[in-house]
Parts: sequence; structure tokens; C-alpha cells
Amino acid sequence: MNRREWLKSMSALAIGAIAGPSLLAVFDAHAASQAPAARPEFFDPAQYSLVGAVSDIIIPRTDTPGAVDAGVPLFMDQLFKAVYAKDEQARYLDAAAAFDKAGGKPFLQLSDAQRKALVNKLHAEALATPKGGKLTPASDFVLMTKKLTMLGFFLSQPGCTQVLQYDPVPARWQPDIPLSQAGNGHAWAVEASLKI
Amino acid sequence: MEKNTYDAIVVGTGVSGGWAAKELTEKGLKTLVLDRGPMVKHLDYPTAMKAPWELPYGDEPTQEDLARWPKHTRPSFYGITQSTKHWFADDIDNPYEETKPFDWFRGYHVGGRSLMWGRQSYRLSPMDFEANGKEGVGVDWPIRYDDIAPWYDHVEHFIGVSGNNDHLAQLPDGNYLPPMDLNCVEKDFQAKLDSKFRRKLIIGRTANLSAPLKHDQSPQRGTCQYRNMCMRGCPFGGYFSSNSSTLPSAERTGNMTMVTDAIVYELIYDNDKGKATGVRVLDANTGHQTEYFAKVIFMCASTFGTAHILMNSTSTRFPNGFGNDSGELGHNIMDHLFGTGARAMVEGHEDRYYAGRRPTGFYIPRYRNIGSDRQKYLRGFGFQGGAGRQDWTRLVDQAALGEDLKRAAQEPGPWYVSMMGFGEMLPSHKNFVTLDRSHKDKYGMPVLNFDAAHQENEIAMGKAIIDDAVEMLTGAGYRDVSHFTMKANVGAGIHEMGTARMGRDPKTSVLNGWNQMHACKNVYVTDGSAMTSSGCQNPSLTYMALTARAANHAVEELKRGNL
Repeated sequence: MNRREWLKSMSALAIGAIAGPSLLAVFDAHAASQAPAARPEFFDPAQYSLVGAVSDIIIPRTDTPGAVDAGVPLFMDQLFKAVYAKDEQARYLDAAAAFDKAGGKPFLQLSDAQRKALVNKLHAEALATPKGGKLTPASDFVLMTKKLTMLGFFLSQPGCTQVLQYDPVPARWQPDIPLSQAGNGHAWAVEASLKI
Repeated sequence: MEKNTYDAIVVGTGVSGGWAAKELTEKGLKTLVLDRGPMVKHLDYPTAMKAPWELPYGDEPTQEDLARWPKHTRPSFYGITQSTKHWFADDIDNPYEETKPFDWFRGYHVGGRSLMWGRQSYRLSPMDFEANGKEGVGVDWPIRYDDIAPWYDHVEHFIGVSGNNDHLAQLPDGNYLPPMDLNCVEKDFQAKLDSKFRRKLIIGRTANLSAPLKHDQSPQRGTCQYRNMCMRGCPFGGYFSSNSSTLPSAERTGNMTMVTDAIVYELIYDNDKGKATGVRVLDANTGHQTEYFAKVIFMCASTFGTAHILMNSTSTRFPNGFGNDSGELGHNIMDHLFGTGARAMVEGHEDRYYAGRRPTGFYIPRYRNIGSDRQKYLRGFGFQGGAGRQDWTRLVDQAALGEDLKRAAQEPGPWYVSMMGFGEMLPSHKNFVTLDRSHKDKYGMPVLNFDAAHQENEIAMGKAIIDDAVEMLTGAGYRDVSHFTMKANVGAGIHEMGTARMGRDPKTSVLNGWNQMHACKNVYVTDGSAMTSSGCQNPSLTYMALTARAANHAVEELKRGNL
């Protein structure tokens, strides 16, 4: 390669910098550009309320925080905005619209008991559909929302530390102990992945 | 010119380059170490201490990430997550061509893939070094197990490998720190494999410190904290990487000069001297070109990185690539069969659990074509796997919702066991990589084009891996046994090797028994490209041992005035 060839190929790059940035600097710049927003940007207010209400039924506040306490609706908004592709976004919003019609009147106008009954019914319908079979959009919405609610909640601080247990630095490996002696006896929080 | 002249040049800083840097500098050579990517100092691990809730997007890749890493996000790849994507070369700036699909993982930064490696550390065995010669496959290794055994000792001692001495001919014992124990279901499986199949299941041998090192040369390294987040980089220094281990030692000698963002694009050959005199480098950020000179050059740029530079270094002496008198440069690509295996559910043991996150699994060493076992295919495979209790994702398909779902998630799930085969791939001249001079990357380098595929022996072995995995799990009495096959191409094992193989005959190999180029004795190649056969064991430990041995040889040869 000669210098001219090189310059031609490098025309998109800044010429003349003295030293390259460390990988740490590159990381920081990239992380800043990709930081998720602090308010919903994908869902409109009505959709955001609907998603919040359903996630609250899937993982409610009990003696421990629930999905809404753990910020799951915003987490889902960020996922749809940045992680999911256009067709997946459309699938979810279409399913949400179908779900909102499934109870006879808009979901948020139903009583608490009616909301729970509808979510439970559609959830059962989704689980009864054979693997590979096509879900109705309304039941698809409930199953997709269940997955992402679980993902957001069990990766959240309340989910990891108050429902599951999380040890950032275990310091030792205990390969075989009674369940009752494994910390507080709850399941360990783990890295996991779930897609709609 | 004088200020750019050193005793030795090391190209690359992964497992091999780090070892070359350490050994050469400790033996007193003023050594220039070049890496094509940016600096990563030990502790420069930006995500190492992040809790799950501190990583955006549930640690999933975004659409922007998918656009930047279209190859690296294919099904058999991993690593493009919010916690580790910064360690992977992006596919836009670093393209490659695939006459046949090829999975090429790259880490372009100081430390290379030693930062993200799987840490499994196994020795090749005497039978591995003899197999090619006995079976007439490829070429015979120019060395035997006894030639490399002391260097395995040397490397294991320095990096720290946790493991058990299991007294197996096909998997030699080593110089180990205490083993990490199996859990209750893994022990159950171990006992059943022993009684029903006469096969061994052992704890994985891993380059994590299960106890303090047996030397005091790495004060920056502490013991493993059982976080199992190694791929992010370990601020405790709990596992071996160049960054945490070999490079700090090289630096402490005062003999190392490191230049980062330095893309070596060719070696300089001096016809009159019959030697390599140096390397030509361009700055990845400015394009500034520099020549560096040395008495000896160590190529440790990774199997394809090294092949790339050598193929790009043409001269009247080497019109077909540096050191390529044999026509084997770029050929004989090997990897390990990867992506197939089986899993099962295990009844009982509900009152047992574990604490801590062990950074290794179990290993079932090769048992095929050993002793009286004879198969229709050559060589064999090992399995790597583990048992554990299912996490909350199992509840997606279960009826629980609301309070019931929270309560169910609090209980550890039933036990499962899962394992995947790693199979030996035979060397073949038909599996090769070339330079595509019609397609250049943004640095002006012609890109690599891969043309490699599994052949008859690999296909037969791939079937056997699944059959055996299912047979063992079924024979152990476990339920819901199912097999899996990932969509994986050659390269997916990230154990690529063979593109500048060692051999006895310069007509059929690139390197001699000291990893020296047959055709240019002051160039050593000690990364995966040197491998004559692949074994089925994870190969990094062998690269390290070969590198240390070659560095020792180079220093002796310099003293004797032979280089």
C-alpha cells in the first residue's frame, strides 16, 4: 500500500490526531450516546397506562415491590424504542389495540376484578395454544407483556434483591449445600434473556 | 531509524503476544509490542462491577448495535451485549468476505481475546501430537508431548489453572491450583457415567485462581470471587488475561515499549540479509506510516490476523506471501465442532442448592478412538456442560400470575443438566482463507475471504456428538432428554488455527519445530496459526506454551548469533 492509497481509504477519518483514545474513552462516549431516556418515548400516554396496568397484574406489589414500583413500564418503553425492530414494534402495538378491545370496553374502564379476569383468561388461552400455533393478538399481548414484565422485574434492583437474592461478590463457591443455608433460601438472581 | 530499532518486535497482545512480551523482556530483550487497537490497562473494565439493573436494555443489543455488528449478532456469536460489546471489533469498519460462511470473532484492543476467553485450559496429549503422522492426515507435528510438557508446567504455574489431576492418558495432568467442586447433580451424573459407560466426568480446568498463585510475580492478581462475570474483565485479577498477568510483568522489566492503534500491514524482507528486518505499521487513527526494526519478530496477531499480514507481505523473494514457499499459508483452517449437544431434566435433589457463581463447568474428556474403541470417523470429541437449578424464565410457560408468579420465582426451579460437544476438525488444504484485493477495509487493507467447511469426518463426528450426548443423559435415567443444534459455521468454536502450520518439511509446512519460519529464521509465529492438528481440547494453553518455548529458543539463537 502506498500513502496515497492509504489517504484515499482514510478520507472518512480525522487525519492528524496524535494519539488514539483509550478503549475506556470510546466506551464512555458510546454509552452516553446510547443512554436510555428517563421518560416514555415509544408508547403514547394511553398505551403507557395500559402497559403499566397489565404489568401490575402480572407482578403486583405485595409485601415486596411490584413491577410498577420497579420501573417496568419505562423499561419496556426503552426496549421497544431501542431494541425491538419495526415489525416487532408493530406486532406489539397492534396486539395492545386488540387487547384493549377484548373486554367489551377499554381496559382501563374495567373494574379491577374484570381486568384481572381478562388477563387471566387470555393468559390461559395463550398457554393452551400448542407450540408454534398462532396466538390471537389479544392473548399474544398478554404473553409478550408477561415476558417483558418478568424480564424487567427480575433484573431490577427490587426484583433481584427483595424477591430473588443477589450477591455481587460471593467470594466463594459452595457447590452442594442445603437450600435453607443458601443465603435466605430464595432463588439466586441470574443474568437471563427473554424475547417477546 | 535508530529510535525505531529494538531487539524484538511482538505483533499482537492476546494470549500469545502477552506471553512473547513477558518472556522476551524478562530475558533482557528490548521489545516493541504492537497492537492494532486501543489501550486497555488492567482495571480499565467499565462494566465489571455493574449489577443487572445498572445495565440498560436488560443487557440486550439495540438496533444500533445490530447494525454495527451484523455478523457478530448471528446465532452462533455472542458478546454483543451492553456489558461486553466494547470488546468486539465492529463489522462495519472490519469487514470480511465469506465464500463459505465463517464465524470470526475478533477483539481489537490490548489484551485481545484474552479478556473475553472461556479460560478452559487443557493440555494436548501424546496421542494428539502423534495422530497426524500415524494416520497420514495433514503433516506430522515436528514436536512431541515431551517437547512441550515443561512449557505447559511453566505456563500453568504462572497463569494459575484450577483443576484436578485425573490421571488420563488422553488429557495429561498439570500444575494446578485446587479444583472447583461439582454440584450434587453433576456428581450424580459423574457416578452414572462411570458405572454405566466407563467414561470420566471431571471438573473443568480453568484459568481462574481458586487459591493464591504459587509465585509472587503478579501482585495485581487476587483470587476468584465467584462472580462469573469474567468476560467483562476482572478487577480482582481472578482470571488470566494478558492485561492482568503477562503484560504487567513485561512492563515491570523496563524493556517493553508498547505502541497501540498500530496496524502492522507488512513485514519488511531484506534480500541481501535473507532476513526480516522489521514491520511497517500504520496508525489506526491518523494513517501515519512508520517502520520499526528488530533482530527477531514474533507474530502473535491471532490465526487470521497473522495470516492476513503474512499474505499481505509480498516481495520478489516471497511473491505469494511471506514465508509461503510451501503454498500452505492461509490453508488448513481448523476449528472445533461446536453448537451441538443435549440437555435433560433431573428429578429430586430439591433440598440442595449452591452458592456463588462458579466460572467453569464439567468436562467429559474424549473417549472415542481410544484404547479398544474404534469408530468410522477419526479422532474424537469432549463435552463441556453443567447442571443447575432452572431460573425464573421457566415460569413463562406456567400458569402462575400475580402473587403466585412472585412466589414461584422465589423457589429455585428443578435441576437440569446440559452439555455441548467440542470435536476435533482435521486439517485440509481445501479449507483456506485468501486476500480479496478487490475489497479493501477503511485502512486500505485487502479483506480476508473465507472458504472453509466441515468435511466427511466432521459431519460423521457431528452426528456422533448428538447421539452420544442423548445416550448418556438417557442412560443416566434423566427425563425430557432433548438435543440441540445451533446454527454455527466453522469458526464458531473460536478455536481457529492452522493457517501457518508447523511441520518437518519446508515443502509442506510454514514453520519448523520451534515455530520458526522455515524460509526466514528470525520470524516466529506462535499463535493458533502454528497448529498442525487441532485435538479436541481448548487450545489457548497450547499457544501459550508454544510461545514461551519459542521465545526461549529465539533468545538462545540470538546469543549463538544464529538470527
